[in-house]
Amino acid sequence: MRRGWKTFVLFLALTFASGVCLAGEIDILLQKLVDKGVLTAGEAQEIKTETREQVKKEIAQGKYSSLPQWVQNIKLKGDLRLRYQYKHEKATGDYEKDTNIGRVRMRLGLESKINEKLLAGIGIATGSGDPRSTNISFGDYNTKKTVVLDYAYAKYMPLSWLNFVGGKMLLGDTLWEPTDLIWDTDITPEGAIFQFSKNLDSQMQTFINAGALIVDDDTSTDNDAPMAYLVQPGINYKFNDNLSLKGAISLQAFQNVKSHTSSSYSGASNTGNATAGSSSYTYNYEMINPAFEFKVIQPFKAVGLDVESLKLFGEYVNNLDVSTKASGFSAGFQFGNEKIEKWGDWQFRYLYAMLGKDAVLDVLPDSDRYGGKTAMRSHEAALSFGLGKNTYLALDAYRSERVGMAKAPETLVQLDWNMKF
Amino acid sequence: MKVFRKLLVVTIALLGVVSPCYAEKIVLEGSTTVLPIAQKVAEVYMQKDNNAYISVRGGGSGVGIASLIDGTCDIADSSRSIKDTELDNAVTRGKSIKAHVIAMDGIAVIVNSANKVNALSKKQVKDIYTGKISNWSQVGGDYQKIVVVSRDTSSGTFEAFGELALDKQKIRPDAVMQASNQAVASTVARTPGAIGYVGLGFLSDEVKALEIDGVMPSKETVLNSKYPIGRPLFMYTNGEPKGLAKEIIDFIKSPEGQKLVDEEGFVALK
Repeated sequence: MRRGWKTFVLFLALTFASGVCLAGEIDILLQKLVDKGVLTAGEAQEIKTETREQVKKEIAQGKYSSLPQWVQNIKLKGDLRLRYQYKHEKATGDYEKDTNIGRVRMRLGLESKINEKLLAGIGIATGSGDPRSTNISFGDYNTKKTVVLDYAYAKYMPLSWLNFVGGKMLLGDTLWEPTDLIWDTDITPEGAIFQFSKNLDSQMQTFINAGALIVDDDTSTDNDAPMAYLVQPGINYKFNDNLSLKGAISLQAFQNVKSHTSSSYSGASNTGNATAGSSSYTYNYEMINPAFEFKVIQPFKAVGLDVESLKLFGEYVNNLDVSTKASGFSAGFQFGNEKIEKWGDWQFRYLYAMLGKDAVLDVLPDSDRYGGKTAMRSHEAALSFGLGKNTYLALDAYRSERVGMAKAPETLVQLDWNMKF
Repeated sequence: MKVFRKLLVVTIALLGVVSPCYAEKIVLEGSTTVLPIAQKVAEVYMQKDNNAYISVRGGGSGVGIASLIDGTCDIADSSRSIKDTELDNAVTRGKSIKAHVIAMDGIAVIVNSANKVNALSKKQVKDIYTGKISNWSQVGGDYQKIVVVSRDTSSGTFEAFGELALDKQKIRPDAVMQASNQAVASTVARTPGAIGYVGLGFLSDEVKALEIDGVMPSKETVLNSKYPIGRPLFMYTNGEPKGLAKEIIDFIKSPEGQKLVDEEGFVALK
């Protein structure tokens, strides 16, 4: 008899709930049935809770079922950044120069699920083709600004521990790098990568990224186009809920770069790496790169300060193909909120970076740090502050100078208003 | 005909040999709060059915639900209702998550037995845990600093207490975080001025449970939802459960399974 009542009440509950809102009446009805001894309090609780869960599920299913399947399979994302930038450059003698510019960056991407194991991602962004920048400067008598293909990749996930990514990829799918010492975060590498990752237990995860990148396809000056071969084994170890350490060591071998004409975005025009003649690289770049990131949740709890997280990170790089001016390193910290998501969230970051003249291929490092050149050292401090949901301000300042030659110091200050959508 | 009979005999013999070797295996994963129930149920059920192999893992409610959506577990244990984002993720991946309420858990607010405070309002509990109230004299007790004890941030109990009692506000940063209900109870028992929260099954004579909004935590007040800091405990399946997963859900909801729930210190539905 009780079973029959349960079915009846469940039917009523579902009918009411799907017709919007009569949850209060359902609770009263169930309570009356409990009072009359038809249901136990436990049975009423079970019906009430399972019905609510069922309604939640039906709402979620309804939200999606009203859209065509191809729309359900696509995720859109993007961001807009407005920037004011001040740069002060000082060179030998009395030469000094101040530059004030306004810039915009727009990125728009979509990711489409082809099937359960295959994704495709496509992104466009403002830019002129510079691999390290998606900014466009205002000016030039209000000319229309250009939009370029930022990335286009396929990601195949045949097994829970194995992914294959190919195309013009996101940097995060290529390598794990805690700082931009070697790779500017705007770079979208071109080639193919295998990603292996395995949880050994609840505390330790191991991963390996391995693959090949196409550096340049120009064979007009030599027969072998430059290629890069990467392998990066690493671990992510969680000591407890509040402490974790991620570390990796990578070998990034850029081969056939030697004697090859440098990129128009680096090389001789950038006075970065050593070149022969006007623009051909003198060396290959076979970089070994250990990196780590140590994270602490609530690091200052003992002294009563409510700071969500603290990260310490660093990288070292050495170009095995060169014996002098072949190394570099970065070391820094970040504290505050892990993500800037709402009003009042904040984050402070500091990074010191130094690169020898031939430590890395000079078309790779952060383009804001002394124009992306090598043979430099730099301090960077950045403060971000949340203005509301999906929008924040960031103030980023660099103080950089050359090493191994006249210092020619440079100060760069960027004030950014970021919006994500 | 003889050939047919021989084949029949061989088939029956093979079935007899093979069927005991066949063991259906399922994985239960998720909430550390639900873990003792899942472990006990698995242990008892495997004794009853030699062909059943039930693997039970913890990891937290979120981990269990993510595994269910990924297809790496058969039943997700959860001490909270599935989140909208998790449901969205499930729906977009073609999964139809089905909820099964298996028990209720009441979160009791406890103090050291020497504390003369017997009752608090839910707002006072929130103010204590968020730092607005820091001395027992502000809620009718002695002039004594309040030592706030909490579960660690990864536990389902922490998450449920944050939602049910703190309106999702942050716990004061100087709170003493403990890794288990038992550790919270022990810390409160030996610390004058301490306040903590534990599942109903972890109440003992060593600590004092407080009335909240005029209601004492008990099995009855949790079941009828009068006690304000109570919650259902769930097992989620992908669609209607089948095979061994269905047998396990049915067993937990049976009087025998609910008796095990009660023995583990939770509130049985029957």
